[in-house]
This record gives sequence, structure tokens and C-alpha cells, in this order.
Amino acid sequence: MPIERSVVRARIENAAEYVGPLWPLQTFNAANPLVGFEDQPFDHAVQQAGKLLGGRGYAHPSVFRQAWENGEIDPDILTRRLAEHGITQRPEVLLDRMDSDDRRADSAPSDEPLDRVMVKWLSAFLDQGQAAWPMPKRSEGFYAAWRAVAPYDNAAPSITRSADLPDTLLEAFEEVLSGYPEKRWESIFVHHLAALPGWTGFIKWRSRRANTEWQEAYPITLADYLAVRLTLATHLGEAVAPDRARDLPANGTDRPFLPQIWLQAWEESYRDRLLSDLAQAKTPNDKATRPDAQFAFCIDVRSEVIRRHIEEQGPYETHGYAGFFGVPMQHQPYGTESTVKACPPIVDPKHRIIDRPVDDKQSAADRHGWWTALETGRRGLVKTLKHNIAAAFGFVEGSGGFFGGAMAARTLLPSALFSMAEWVTDWIPQPESFTEPTVDRPPSDDAEWENGLPVGLSHEAKVLYAEAAFRLMGWTDRFAPIVVFTGHGTQTPNNPYKSSLDCGACSGNPGGPNARVLATICNEEAVQTELRERGIDIPDDTVFLAGQHNTTTDEITLFVDDASPPVPPDALDQLREDLQTAQAGATTERVRTMNATVDAGRPQAAVRETERRAADWAETRPEWGLAGNASFIVGPRSLTQNVDLDGRTFLHSYDWTKDEDGTALENIMTGPLVVGEWINMQYYFSTVDNAAYGSGSKVTQNVVGKIGIVQGNGGDLMTGLPLQSLQIDDEHPFHRPLRLLAVIQAPADRVDAILDRHASLAQLLDHEWIHLTIMDPTENNSFFHYESEGWTAHTNAAPSSPPAFSTSAS
Amino acid sequence: MPLLLTRLTWLLFVLSLGALVWSPDPDWAHGTVLHVDGLTRLMAVVTTFFSGIIQSFARRYMAGAKRLNSFYGRIFALTFIVILMTAANHLVLFVGAWTAMGWLLADLIGHVRGWPQARAAARFARWHFLASSALVAGALALLGVQAGTTTIDGVLSSLPSLSSSTVALAALLLLGGAMIQSALVPFHRWLLSSMTAPTPVSGFMHAGLVNAGGILLARFAPVAFELSWVMLVIVFAGGVSALVGQAWILVQTDVKRQLGSSTVAQMGFMVLQCGLGLIPAAITHLLLHGFYKAYLFLATGSAVKQTTPSKASPTSPSLAGSLVALVSAVLGGLLFATLTGKSLTTLNSGALLTLFVVLAVLHATRTMIRRSALPRTARLWAVPVALLSSIGLYALVYNGVSALLAPLPMVSVHPPLTPLHWTLAGLFVAAYVATERGWHRLSTRLYVALLNSSQPVSTTLLHNRDQYNAY
Repeated sequence: MPIERSVVRARIENAAEYVGPLWPLQTFNAANPLVGFEDQPFDHAVQQAGKLLGGRGYAHPSVFRQAWENGEIDPDILTRRLAEHGITQRPEVLLDRMDSDDRRADSAPSDEPLDRVMVKWLSAFLDQGQAAWPMPKRSEGFYAAWRAVAPYDNAAPSITRSADLPDTLLEAFEEVLSGYPEKRWESIFVHHLAALPGWTGFIKWRSRRANTEWQEAYPITLADYLAVRLTLATHLGEAVAPDRARDLPANGTDRPFLPQIWLQAWEESYRDRLLSDLAQAKTPNDKATRPDAQFAFCIDVRSEVIRRHIEEQGPYETHGYAGFFGVPMQHQPYGTESTVKACPPIVDPKHRIIDRPVDDKQSAADRHGWWTALETGRRGLVKTLKHNIAAAFGFVEGSGGFFGGAMAARTLLPSALFSMAEWVTDWIPQPESFTEPTVDRPPSDDAEWENGLPVGLSHEAKVLYAEAAFRLMGWTDRFAPIVVFTGHGTQTPNNPYKSSLDCGACSGNPGGPNARVLATICNEEAVQTELRERGIDIPDDTVFLAGQHNTTTDEITLFVDDASPPVPPDALDQLREDLQTAQAGATTERVRTMNATVDAGRPQAAVRETERRAADWAETRPEWGLAGNASFIVGPRSLTQNVDLDGRTFLHSYDWTKDEDGTALENIMTGPLVVGEWINMQYYFSTVDNAAYGSGSKVTQNVVGKIGIVQGNGGDLMTGLPLQSLQIDDEHPFHRPLRLLAVIQAPADRVDAILDRHASLAQLLDHEWIHLTIMDPTENNSFFHYESEGWTAHTNAAPSSPPAFSTSAS
Repeated sequence: MPLLLTRLTWLLFVLSLGALVWSPDPDWAHGTVLHVDGLTRLMAVVTTFFSGIIQSFARRYMAGAKRLNSFYGRIFALTFIVILMTAANHLVLFVGAWTAMGWLLADLIGHVRGWPQARAAARFARWHFLASSALVAGALALLGVQAGTTTIDGVLSSLPSLSSSTVALAALLLLGGAMIQSALVPFHRWLLSSMTAPTPVSGFMHAGLVNAGGILLARFAPVAFELSWVMLVIVFAGGVSALVGQAWILVQTDVKRQLGSSTVAQMGFMVLQCGLGLIPAAITHLLLHGFYKAYLFLATGSAVKQTTPSKASPTSPSLAGSLVALVSAVLGGLLFATLTGKSLTTLNSGALLTLFVVLAVLHATRTMIRRSALPRTARLWAVPVALLSSIGLYALVYNGVSALLAPLPMVSVHPPLTPLHWTLAGLFVAAYVATERGWHRLSTRLYVALLNSSQPVSTTLLHNRDQYNAY
């Protein structure tokens, strides 16, 4: 029976919706693992996904118990919520009942031999450089490559010649599917895609980015995967179609479900406390004086802590903006050939920015180049000797002593290594000190197009991005003499999840390069003139600097040429001194949540502890990343300035009075807020089911193909975050699995208008993937909660201050 | 408890180091139960060092994990038992220590109790270790009964009076036990299925515990060396693993199994050295490989890299370059032979070791010459410095180990080279040329065979993530 290519393709497309894309570890991206279910109400979605992927949708009862015992769930709210469903038992009784209900139903046993053979060939095909001898014929695509190796694979003895297997994908589908009616195909595809959601998620990611080098060289699609898997299933005598009972899972039930009620009560408790804090916050009123310096930080929850501590140091102001600073760019760091995407996953890069040495600093660049070449040579030599069939033995004997010394140093003296690394970076010139981003278009315009992207920015683009930045933040006047755009990045060795700690708005890369680009743009006279014409009042004496916040140590590095600083040296020294004090304060606050033994009396002790973590190859918890995230506040900093938000809040600056038509708010709600939801959902699901939606403990992880994680000896690719990024220890979560609460200061009709235009955003709210409360300035700043029927006024009976968000583990 | 045991281990390390330097020789150390000699003292230092590193590492790496006390208790007990094994003189004590070592190691492979795949891996390894213990027990029972003694010293001193068939059988049984413990082909599968173990355990295992096979052969060297054909069997067993393990590395896509394959190869090489009659070389290898492998295991988190598909085919260096490489290789070999006191005039098993050094230096210099990106200045001084210091450091360790082991019975014999030796040497050279030229890539069959033969046991693979449990 001949079948239609387009029909098969469409069925696969539909079936693929159930699998979330999985980014490689180099550019770890926050993503909702249930993104394909977002068109359904949250509760239905988690139940369906649970049936298909085996994951749980709500936290384990022990997590609710801890929250209850810590006082994070307001008893009144819980009682009221339970009563709404006619439940009157005491919370303690309900916790016990949830515990006993929580016998996890046995998931369907997986198709072991089929999975095993699939995993073997998938890891061989998708390898990005671990194996010195890669799978043969990869360039012909996965199906063809498998067809070439299958006859030699004793796992499927019935295949003895490649010619026994269908020539093409379509023929393969024809052979397998001809026995099934077309309406069954989709459920067959879903079943087989969901059998290995990690690998299929990675294929899904890779096949949708056709321009990545690996996909170009060795193409693979979900159709390849299905063709191989279904053909193998017939040869192994395994079921092609799932039992009818396990066809696409039916919709969830409407039965009130205890964990759901507990989650809602917990979220409402958090919300009420946050809102009462915001209501009581005293708005500082010193708009008259000009600050010494202003900082724009990423909206990342980690910025909240350091911003608070910087503001304490003196006349400083801070703003929050997406950490790619609105420049949709692809970045090529100095000395590398490959580029990285330095903008959010939902944005396509439009410019290529290359770091090039400044003319008068060529000697520094040469010195840097000499050392990097030596290091590259050493690495290459070690690799080839390690893998060489005859040289490896002599190599091991010759190098063993050095490895032993290095091992002892890295294990026993991590703090000393941090100091040594600092010393080395002082001694060998670093690229930031001698390069400049190419923000200008090169003279010969099209000479440097690559991947369809031009190098540099046109004048119009520069003005556009600069204006957009200040408009979105509502920052059109009162510029300080120094304005610092501060990106952020992490510092953590020996950590496969490094990029999960870098800037999410830069697709898991450090944000410093973006900050440099925006600062360079804003310092251009022509740009400033045009901005002034458009009502953004930048004084002549304002200098824009770029910097990077090290989120592991809270150190802020300013990218300034100290030989000829663009600002008065005194001012720069003062700024650096204050940043150091702020670092000490912020780290002291953070190490309290880190199970660290630090002498509380000495502020430098906390800095030392974080520096040790930044250099320690044995550290599985270098920093908390975005763990704890629970809310997203859109409004001017004055709303939150005197509130300790405990590093749980994304802060996006916004001034409703300067956004008459709502464009700025629309951009914030459809951009950063959605990315916030992705991050929040990733943390949520990784926490509630670390096996199905997270990646398990780092202690037994194994890096496969240089791109992903498997547990132990291998199997399905793990997705999401590791246990150590979410939990203080094996028993106590650090991240609270709550859905994101957005708080926006804007008139209700403005928000309504935006939601009318963006149905998918409204759907996220209606289906409770995200909560929204507005602070309506036209209604005396009262709070209103979004509900699908309309706005409900906030009634508050919350207790005064929230319990400290710290560990209860000892 | 973790802190206490870590400190205690480091204290033991300092004491062992002291004992190594000052060589005290108390009477109790030469009894029928214990016999402390150079091998014991050396292994005490090495074992406590690795154990200390692993424990210090795990204090941060595994912070917050459940069952930490049990983890540390087992690591510490293992450390103690390994030292006890190297100090044992009583045959029963030796077998007991050997068995306990396997049992505890299997426990640690399955440290994550709630995870079915880890339990399966532990079970699989435990059966192997029990088989190994049975073989060792059989060999020692045979020797003890025939010699009418209960001590290792007694067995070794009465070897000449035993029939050669007895010695041969005992030697083969011991070889079997050593091959299982050191994961030699065809007993490699337990090792390649053991990645369910916490990373520090893998580090300890690959750096330390797999070496016990070499210790066993060193301890009973006179038994193994009694018959020259037994030595050839040992050479063969080691050589096969060295070649096959090294070939497996080429096709592995996950970092831990790649390291595991490398361990199979290196253990094969160590056993090969034993079969050549070069116990000090084997012990030196065991030590240096331990540093190397423990480091790489602890550093497996660094395996994520931004890479691009490589399309470059291997380029051959110019004639002049090849000449330079060849000359450096010969010089390296000469240096090595001189520093380690190898005879340069007579060809014996020591010459084979020199061959491996020559190959390593040859490959290193060829690679450096091919790399035009390397600055000239770096090539001028960095390359000789690296080569000289590597060979020098190796020679230093080798000579130290040799001096320590010198009093042991028959640690170094130099059997004449047989055609088997030449064949083996030829195989390695051929394999070197073949992989350099890329000939192996022509065979899809070979690729699939290598990949399939290095697969872990199927029950230890986590296909259904539901079954994963971190505790």
C-alpha cells in the first residue's frame, strides 16, 4: 500500500508535540518539559504527561509537609481552599493521607531490547567528538547509517544484508505501517517517541536547527528515528503499535486532587506575603538628587540580591532588563572559530559580533595567543596520546606523576587554585582587555556575511536597540555620570551544567559580551544625539561602561581600560570599592543557604567560601542558579527597593507613565515574562520529578557524546536540572516548586488589551501555568488578580513578614 | 563520621609514608600472620593516598547525600583491607582479605540502593569477584596442601619441591583470579557495567582496586615465573587486553565507558609487564596509571565541549619531520633505558618496554611537528622539557619502586624473547601504523564488533527514566 510522504510527515509533526526539545549541554536552555501540553489546563496536562512520560505533576507529599512545617503555607488559606472542595480534615491528617496515596503506580515496562539497540546507535550517531572513530556513513543520515551497520549487529540477527532493509525512509514506513489504519499512526508515533523522550527531544532540537554544523554534516530527523525504530521492532518481534488501552491518554479527571489544593494554597500564601510586603514598602523619594552611578542588571533572580547590596552602598540606582540587553546577536569570542547564540531562545540572532584586538594592543593579543596556542597544543597532544593504540602505555607512565600532583592540588587546595588562577589571568592578558566588539558594519558590506548574518550593526539598528532598552525600562532621564550595563556569568569548573548557570537570556552564555555591545553603542556620539531627539535625555558627561557579574562569587568586573579610563579615576576607585563591599554583603547572605561552615563574624569569609566553590572541581553546588524563583515583578525599582525579595524574584524595570500605548509592556509580557515561565517550569518539574523531568544526581552522571547526560552505564538522555541544583541535600528541596507569579504595575485595561492580542499568553494564564496580579495605579495601586472570568480585587489578611527563605537542613 | 575517617586516612598516609622512608623493621612484621615488606609499605602509601584523595573529594562532591556514613565506612574498610591483603602472610588471611575486598567493592558499585540498575551492576560484579575469590582460594589451597604450610612465605620457599603440574595449575588459577579482578578480556564486563557507582568510587576502583590483580601476581611471582610457558600465557592474556581495550576506546561515546576501556587496556599492559618478568615495572605502571585514571575520573564533569565536525584527514609530516620524530624517539628510548638500567646490548623482555617508550615519544613528536599552530619558541623549549621531565619522573619512580621491591623473591627475571614476544611487538607496531593511516575505518564490521563487545550488561542500562532513583 503506497503511503503519502506528506501524511506521514504531518503525523510525525503532530506526534512530536508531546516531546519537549532538549538543548545540548553547551547551551543549556530553560524549557518547559511539558511545552507540548501548554494548550491544556495545568492539572490535565500533568496527568496526561504523567501517563505518557511517567513523571509526576505535583511535589512529593514530603515537600508539602516541609513547607507546612516551615510555615510557608498559611493555615487559613489552606483551610479555606480545602473547604471549597468540602474537605474538612486537619492538614496533618491530609499529609498522612497523601503520603499513603503516593504509592507510585508502576509505569509500563520499557521495551528493553528495542530501547537498548536504539540507544546504542543514537549515542553513536549523535556523538559530537567523544569517540575518535565515529559511526560509519553518518553523513548519509541516521537511517542510511543504521542500514549500513545493522547487518553486522548481532542484536538483530535476522538482518543479514543491508539490502534486506527498505532503501528509503518512505519505504520503511510503508513496510511497517501498511498493516495499520492511518488513524492509528499518530498514536504509534507518539508511543515510540515517548519511549526515549531524552533522545527524541534532542533530535527534535537538532533537526529544527538545520544550520548547526553537526546537523549539516550528519543529518537526523524524528522520521529517521521512527523508521529505524519501527523497522527494528518488526525484526525483533516487538510490538509496533501500543495496546489500545495505552493509546493517546484521555483527558484528566476533574476530581479535586489533594496535591493540587495544597499547591494552590502554598502559592496563595506566597502571593499574599509578597503583596503585603509590596504594599508596606516605603517608596524612597529622593528623585531630586543625581545618583553617582546607575546599573542595568539582568532580570535574573540572582541580580536581586546584589542590586540590594549595591544600593545600600551609596547614591546608586539599579535597573532590570533582559540580560542580552536587547541585542539579538551571535557572538564569536576572540580566538575561536565557532559562534554562540547570545540572545534568548525565542529570538533569532540578527547580527554577528566578533571580538577583535584593538590596534594598539596587538602585543597583548600576541602574548595571549602564545599561551593559548601552548595550551591548545598540550590538550591536543594529551588527547592523541591517550587514544593512540600503542603510545598510550608509555604516555600513561610518563604523565602519571603530573596527573597525581594535579589531582592532589585540585582536591586539597581549591582555594589556593582560585588565587593562582586570578594571578595567571592578571599575568596573561585576557581577551576583554585587548579586544573590542565589532559593532560597526565593515566597509565591504557583504564580504562578511555568514550564516545569513551580517557583521556589526547599522546606525539605525544601534539607535533602535539603545532606544528600546531605555523605553522598556522607562528610563528616559536622570542619567548618572556612570552607567554600567552588567551582564552575568558563572564560574564553575568540572561542571556539565555550567551553562545552566550562565545567562538564560543569552541562551546559556555569559552576558558580558552583550553588555559591551550596548555600552559601545550608547557611547557613540551619533547615537546619543539621535536618542536625545527622541526624548531620551542623556547628558554630555554620562559614560556607559560594561561589566559582568560573577554569580558564583558576586564579584563585578568592569571592562575598563585602566591605562586610560573613560571616567575619572577617583570615581572609578570609589565604585570598585563599593562593589567589593556589596560583594561581601551579598555572599554573606547567600552562603547562609549553602550548607557552608563560614565564620559569620568575618565578611571576607563568605567571599572566600564562594571563591573556593568557583574553583573547586569537587563542588556539585557552586551556586544556586535560579533555584527559588517564584515571582516576576514588572515595575519601577521604587516599588521593591526596600523589600528583601530573597533572590526569588525576576525584576523587570517598567514605568507605566511612560508607556501610553502599552508597547513596552507588550514586549515585556510576550518576551521576558514567557522566558521566565519556561525557567520557572523547568525548575518546577525538575524538582517535582527529578527522574522523569530532571537529570538525577550529579554523583552518578555520565557525559555522553559531549552533549548530554546519562545516568550510570547509559540509556535515555536525561533532561532538565540535576538534583544538586535544586536540593540542599537528598531530603530537602531548596527550590520551592511553585508556579510563577507575575506582578505588574499597570492599569487593568492596558493589560487586558495586551492579553486580547496574544491568545497564547492569555491561555497560559487561563490554564494556570502562570499567575498574574496587577497593581493598578489608576485604582490607588490596589492589587487585582487575574482570573479567566475577570479581575478579582485582592483581599488581604496575610501575616506581617514572611519566614526567612533559608534551609531547615542541618 | 566522613570528616573523622578522612582525617584518619590522611593520618595513615603520613604514617605509611614515614614507614616507607625510615623502613622500621619490627619483629611482629615477620610473623606467620603478617609479613610486612617493601611491597606492603609501598601499597600502604599508595592506597592511603588514593583513599584520602577520594574521601576529601567526596566530602564536597557528595555533600548532602543519604547514606554517607555507609559510603565512608566502606571506603575506609576497603583501604584497610587492601593494606591487610598486601601484608598478609597467612594463606587464609590473604583469601579472606581478597574476598572481603570484592564484596565491599560490589557494595559500592550498588551504593545507590533504590536504583534497580545499580543493584544489577553490583550483583553482576559480585559474582565475578566471588569467582575470582574461588580461583584464588583454590590456588592457595592447592599450594598450601602440597607444600604443607599455611603461609605465603612457606609456599614460596618450598616451590622447588612441588611438582610442576601443581605449580602450573596454581599459577593458572591465580592468573584467572587476577584477570577477573583486573577486568581483563574476557572478564571485562563487570568493569564496563560499573558506572552506576558514584564517581569517586569509580576513581578509587580504576586507580586502585583493579590493580589488585597485579599485586596478586607480584606477590606470587615465583609461582608464576616457575614455568616459562605460564609466563607466555600471562603475556598473551595481558597483550590481548591491552590491544582490545585500546581499540574499544576509539568507539566509545560516553566519557566513563571510554575511561573504563582504557583501564582494561592499561591493566592488560600491567599484566603483560608481569608476564615479561618485570614486576617492578608493573608496580610502577599500576601506581602511575592510578594517578592518571583517578584524575580523569574525577574530572569527567569537564567532558562537555563545544566541538565542530572534523573533516581533516590525518596529514603526514614531511620527510624531515619524520626524521626528527624518529631521532627523538630513539633518543627517548636510550634515555629511558639508561635511566632505568636496561641493558642496551642484549635483547630481553626489558627491550619490549623500551619499545613502548619509543612509540610514545615517536607519536608525541610527530604530533607536535604536525601542529603548525604551535609557536616556534614553545616547540623549541616546551617539547624537550616535557619529554625529558616525563621520562625523568618515570625513571625516578621506577628506580624507587625497584629498590623497594628488590628484596622480594624473584621480582625481576629476564626471560629471553620468544617468537610470541616478537609477534606481540609486531602486532602493536602494526596496530600503530594501521590506526595512524586510518585503515581500521575501512571495516564497518570491525566497528560494530568493537561497539558490541564493549556494551554493559543490559539490565544495568536506564532506558526507562522512571526507574531511576537517586537514593
